[in-house]
Amino acid sequence: MDAVNIAELSGNIAVVGYGLAAIGPGIGVGLVVSKTIESIARQPELAGRLQVTMWLGIAFTEALALIGLATPFIFA
Amino acid sequence: MQRNSADLFNAALRLSILLAVLIALVGSLLGFLIYGLAGVFSSLIAAAVSASFGVLTILSIRFGSKLPLNGFYGLVLGGWLLKILLFAVLLGSLQGAEFISGPMFFFAVVASVLGGLSIDSYLVLSSKLPAVEN
Repeated sequence: MDAVNIAELSGNIAVVGYGLAAIGPGIGVGLVVSKTIESIARQPELAGRLQVTMWLGIAFTEALALIGLATPFIFA
Repeated sequence: MQRNSADLFNAALRLSILLAVLIALVGSLLGFLIYGLAGVFSSLIAAAVSASFGVLTILSIRFGSKLPLNGFYGLVLGGWLLKILLFAVLLGSLQGAEFISGPMFFFAVVASVLGGLSIDSYLVLSSKLPAVEN
């Protein structure tokens, strides 16, 4: 590093990309689970159905993270 | 129409294996036409990942449901984390490999993820599971 270039970084920018791709699904899964817990607390008799819907919501949200994880194969 | 959860899991298992076979066949054909032999290997690896992950998820839920609630969550979510880690390790080891084609592998993985979601949605929406599990 020379005196002019004081903010030099080394590494792969794709790692930052995956970090960004994980933020959205992370927030999404958190929201799905928190709302399910709230709903079960309001109506415990619906817990079974709410849990099934929650798993489906989590599966859809985490698909984004899986696709984000595989993107280096096309953007490399 | 599924009568109980065992029927549901059996249907999910059958459809997951069918999806992996479809990805292997259609992906290999398309991959060979577009990318040559590397496209075939990419599709076959993606199909193997799709089959093993789908089957592991279904088996973990099926055997986890025989455990107490904490054991169920431990088995299903622990298996889930393990799968994500294995997936990351697999992607890391395939990065830069000469024998696969990156775009073909990516599209085959996306097809398996979307196909898995379609199977889950179809089974959940078409089943009439009771609110209280058997």
